[in-house]
Amino acid sequence: MRVTRLEIRDFRSIRHLALDLGQTTVFVGPNNAGKTAILDALRIALTRRWGQRGTGFTEYDVHLANDTDDPKTSPGVSIEIVAEESEPEEWPAAISEDLDQIVQLDPSTDIRSIALRTKCAWNDDSGAFEPTWEFLDAKREPLVGRSARRVNLERFWRYLPVFYLGALRDVGDEFSPRSQFWGRLLKALEIPADLESRALRVLDLLNRHLLRADQRLQEIAATLSGTTRIAARDREGSLDLRMVPLKMWDLISKAEIILRNEPDSPWLPLPRQGQGIQSLSVIFLFQAFVEHLVRELYEQDSEPVLALEEPETHLHPQAARTLWDHVHALPGQKIVTTHSPYFVQRVPFRDLRIVRLTANGTEVRSLPASFSAKIPPLDGLETVVRQSAGQLHYENAPEILTVNGTLDENLYRPLLALCGAHEQRTRIEHALRDLRDRSSLHISDEELRTLETFARRMRGEIFFAVRWMIVEGQADYLVVHAVAEALNYNLDQHGVAVIDAKNNGSPDTFAALARALAIPWLAVFDGDNEGRNYVRSLRNRGFTDAELDRRCGTHDAGDLEAQFVADGLGPELREILTALQVRNATTLTDEALSARLRDHKTACAAALAARLRADPGLAQRTPAAFRAAIEQLPGLT
Amino acid sequence: MDNALESTLAELTDIQRRAVDWSAGPLLVLAGPGSGKTRVLTCRIARLLDMSRDQRFRVLALTFTNKAANEMTGRVRKLVPGLEERVDIDTFHGFCAQVLRQHGAHLGIKPDFAIYSETTDRQAVLDDALRRDRTHCAGCEDVRLLPLIDDLKAHLIEPEQAQEHIGHMSEWAAERVGAVEAAYRLYEEELRRANALDFNSLILEAHRLFAYPAMARHYQKVYRYWLIDEFQDTNKAQYNLLRRVAGQSFREIFAVADDDQTIFEWNGANVRRIGNFVRDFSCDVVQLPENFRCPPPIVEAANRLVVYNAVRATSKQPARSVQDHASHSDEGQIRYVEFDTDTDEVAGIADEIVDLDSEARSRTAVLARNRWLLERMHEALAAVGVAAVIAARRDDFVSPQMRWLVACLKQINRPLDRHNMAVLVEAFSGFAPSRIGRDSLASRSETDGVTYLTAWIDVVRQADLSPPATEIVDTIAELSTGNMKLPTAIQQILDCFGRDDPDEDLKDDLNAWRRISREIKTARGSTSLDRFLQELQLRSKEPVPAPGTVTLTTIHGAKGLEFDTVYLIGLAEEVLPSWQSVRNGSGSGALEEERRGCFVAITRTRKHLILSRARHYRGWSKAPSRFLSEMGCLGGQHPGNAVMGKGRS
Repeated sequence: MRVTRLEIRDFRSIRHLALDLGQTTVFVGPNNAGKTAILDALRIALTRRWGQRGTGFTEYDVHLANDTDDPKTSPGVSIEIVAEESEPEEWPAAISEDLDQIVQLDPSTDIRSIALRTKCAWNDDSGAFEPTWEFLDAKREPLVGRSARRVNLERFWRYLPVFYLGALRDVGDEFSPRSQFWGRLLKALEIPADLESRALRVLDLLNRHLLRADQRLQEIAATLSGTTRIAARDREGSLDLRMVPLKMWDLISKAEIILRNEPDSPWLPLPRQGQGIQSLSVIFLFQAFVEHLVRELYEQDSEPVLALEEPETHLHPQAARTLWDHVHALPGQKIVTTHSPYFVQRVPFRDLRIVRLTANGTEVRSLPASFSAKIPPLDGLETVVRQSAGQLHYENAPEILTVNGTLDENLYRPLLALCGAHEQRTRIEHALRDLRDRSSLHISDEELRTLETFARRMRGEIFFAVRWMIVEGQADYLVVHAVAEALNYNLDQHGVAVIDAKNNGSPDTFAALARALAIPWLAVFDGDNEGRNYVRSLRNRGFTDAELDRRCGTHDAGDLEAQFVADGLGPELREILTALQVRNATTLTDEALSARLRDHKTACAAALAARLRADPGLAQRTPAAFRAAIEQLPGLT
Repeated sequence: MDNALESTLAELTDIQRRAVDWSAGPLLVLAGPGSGKTRVLTCRIARLLDMSRDQRFRVLALTFTNKAANEMTGRVRKLVPGLEERVDIDTFHGFCAQVLRQHGAHLGIKPDFAIYSETTDRQAVLDDALRRDRTHCAGCEDVRLLPLIDDLKAHLIEPEQAQEHIGHMSEWAAERVGAVEAAYRLYEEELRRANALDFNSLILEAHRLFAYPAMARHYQKVYRYWLIDEFQDTNKAQYNLLRRVAGQSFREIFAVADDDQTIFEWNGANVRRIGNFVRDFSCDVVQLPENFRCPPPIVEAANRLVVYNAVRATSKQPARSVQDHASHSDEGQIRYVEFDTDTDEVAGIADEIVDLDSEARSRTAVLARNRWLLERMHEALAAVGVAAVIAARRDDFVSPQMRWLVACLKQINRPLDRHNMAVLVEAFSGFAPSRIGRDSLASRSETDGVTYLTAWIDVVRQADLSPPATEIVDTIAELSTGNMKLPTAIQQILDCFGRDDPDEDLKDDLNAWRRISREIKTARGSTSLDRFLQELQLRSKEPVPAPGTVTLTTIHGAKGLEFDTVYLIGLAEEVLPSWQSVRNGSGSGALEEERRGCFVAITRTRKHLILSRARHYRGWSKAPSRFLSEMGCLGGQHPGNAVMGKGRS
């Protein structure tokens, strides 16, 4: 069982968020965007003892739209957690049996789920923020009667224990005898009684030998025993020295990890290792804990949920890159935040969530495979769903219509036609239109596969970028960076990613990606046939002409090289070609010049970029489309 | 043995133990009166739980009364403390209510629906429904509609299929098929609107929900073992529901029944259903013929009686008493007395009872076929100063005070319930005269933006109330605003009601309230208001009889009970057996049901059975009941050790 959906209302920077969660979900976004709030929402709502005094949220956790808002008048924090099977019979029988009173079964799909709503709002009578909870039925109405008994909440926790590893992982704390994983592992060790008694005898002997080793020890003991005389009682106390632990737990609790990185390096205890190793070791400690103890401490079928902040902390990029595979392979469900492009490189697109702070609070974007809307059970809906060849899916009780992929016209029209007589016609039509629009942002599996293949390297960085500038190739990439610098606008500093789309997929894919993730973007294409094809492919993606006008520039003179020549960069380019050992470079006609430039495309672009850096004034003769685009970037939405 | 389960198992007879341990699929246990069937059921549940301590599946046990469910829950808890969490022991209706609260969303039912059990409530729903839409059933506000709707629902007939059935129901219905059908549909819609279900809905809607095979499979998995108590009382709807949940494949079903105790045919029970069950589930059958309750002469009389019935489980073994003969004096274990008139009969019996001490009276019951005779008995006992109570299920409290209190609690739980608000207003006026229109309340609630209850409190406070009335209204106000805890508020109100010499009805109700809250606490632990109200709804509101009270009960009401001394009165033709059954003829099903009634009645006896009859009832001369001779109490065929006496005439 895992958390499949998390809905958060009025919590810190979050006004309202509805998130689908996978086996591993990775949140990416700038500092203060709300990533930790998402992790905390889940962690606090699933905290054991929820609903008792001292648990729940505080007045600082309530989302406030502005300075003057009063947390006491807010509806309060609400966190809804849904755990749902991904296919019938996914959950072990014991879960359905043990949690029977809160399990919801969708009888038409045979899918089980559990929905828990926790709330924390100001209560005038008690003068405190009071935590409450309720399990929900398929229509999201609170379950009553025996389902509302607290024992159900406590059982639910046992199947979904939540663990949290913050960004600052201190080996000293995490490997202490009282820590959440290490300490419990040590305490769970079973030492056979005869071994224990033998060990204690040996220790006792050792202790006595050590005490006799240096006579001063006896003298020190004698001096110290003055303590017992001062704190006088009726009967005389005594004092002794202990050189080694004489109890099993004292011994075991001193267990420590030592390690060496190379076969011939010295063995060193963990706290003596580098920060990266320390941080990493805590993650593996969690794994050891889950493998050896979770089932013992909780239930046979418990699945831990790990909220993990910045697993890459202090790690070398290469290590960060391979870390994904380890994190993904950790037992249970993982909810991860990261700031590492290297880590993100291996994360599947569908598992990524882009978090940002907007005027409406924290917002999260992703690339879902399906889209849902609340639609009442219209007459004939069943037939349309049945005839959709699995593309549509309808859940009767919660009244949710889901479309896998894009809701295209041949499904949209028949759905629209069903609204005809319904009393809420306008509202339903609006919901369907909205569903169609949202689902038009769908990016297919196939396309994502292509991106996985070609765009792995750049994937890391583009998801951390604030704006995208899409260009055709590497030459454009080099020149655009130099032009921007010459115009005094540093692209890196402003979080602009320049995407040379041809090498990594196709421009329309990136534009679609940008739209789905709400990343402001623009593009500059060549004014040749190829460039016109790109614009056409964007139009096929459903971008309007007005939007394309706003976002897409083209070189009037044709391709990039023709544009350079037209812009009067001829003299410089002839010098560059000459330096590249091109014969007759100074005497070529303009057409021949463009042709030679194309032969040495990237090298020329690199050389031109170098000249631009040396002489920013040259920028005035660079392609107008580039300059216009760069000027547009700062205010781009 | 220190373990409660082990020691109880050790006390079982071989045959009881065989049933408890049964693991070869569906089983029917044919259990005669006093054969320890509850013990077999509870031991089986406890053993199933005990043997699967590392597992999580649940056990479902269905009974016909909350009383039986409570008793079984308590016994299981004693046998396997801590494991009772994994068993649900409930009535059919209670189980369906649980299912619907949890999964009703798929039928458009909200988890917090109310259960309307009283005819007046339900009639109000129907009236509202008809007021809303008269077009389809103009001029049919007749009260005759509700029983027809009930009948359709009790037979699991959906509104869509109603038309063809209505024609066969009665002449009156056949003339109004369209109207009845429309009324049924409107009534159902109105119940939905009121977020309420009636008793028949519980079974019908659950039956509807289990039409989804996935839902049935889910329950088969979660509840790996099912046990059914008093299977002979299952009506057709309940049986169909059971079959639907079991589907084609479910086998772990264990039913306990006694076909000879089928006396609820009027409610759809059918003596042949046991046979159907054995056939439908390919059941094995185990018989428990040993009777631990009754002395041998009574068991023999019961055996002699019941063989006159043609329709019985094949090869049913005669019961045998396992009471130690020596431990009882043989004197007077069965006595027969005859009187001239019904008045003589009740007076004669009263004369006998008046000689008993208080403890003996508590363990004495007078059984009769009909209520009329019981009322005569009641008068006769009253005349000689013997306390007696006619046992009868009470669906609701009888005093306006307690009806008002329950309505208040319901209103706090479900602030939008208009029907309940009407009950609240009406009940209040029953003990604190005040005139408040239901409509004015609704409008006030809307204009002031407050709940109905708050609006009512505001209005009623302006009236000139007596000090006690003011006090309880204030308490409710405190409770409804959350300023007072529920138990405190209820206690204050109860104290206030009980303060100055409450009348008999209120005394009964206060007494019943104490019993019910104790029962709920035992069965369910501390509960939410919502849960408490649900439980309250399902329980009978009769008071606990005071010590020294003689129980007067109909034969039907005596089912499942036992007494040291039982008087079965009115053993005359056309009384027991009833006039109707005699008219149907000696081979008729109705007459056989009467015979089973007599069988149930006499087998309630632990020690002494007194059979009586008068020669005249209501002035008409009546022959001795055929059951008397069938039992061997008349005409020379005397049971060996029974003493026949002659009453005064």
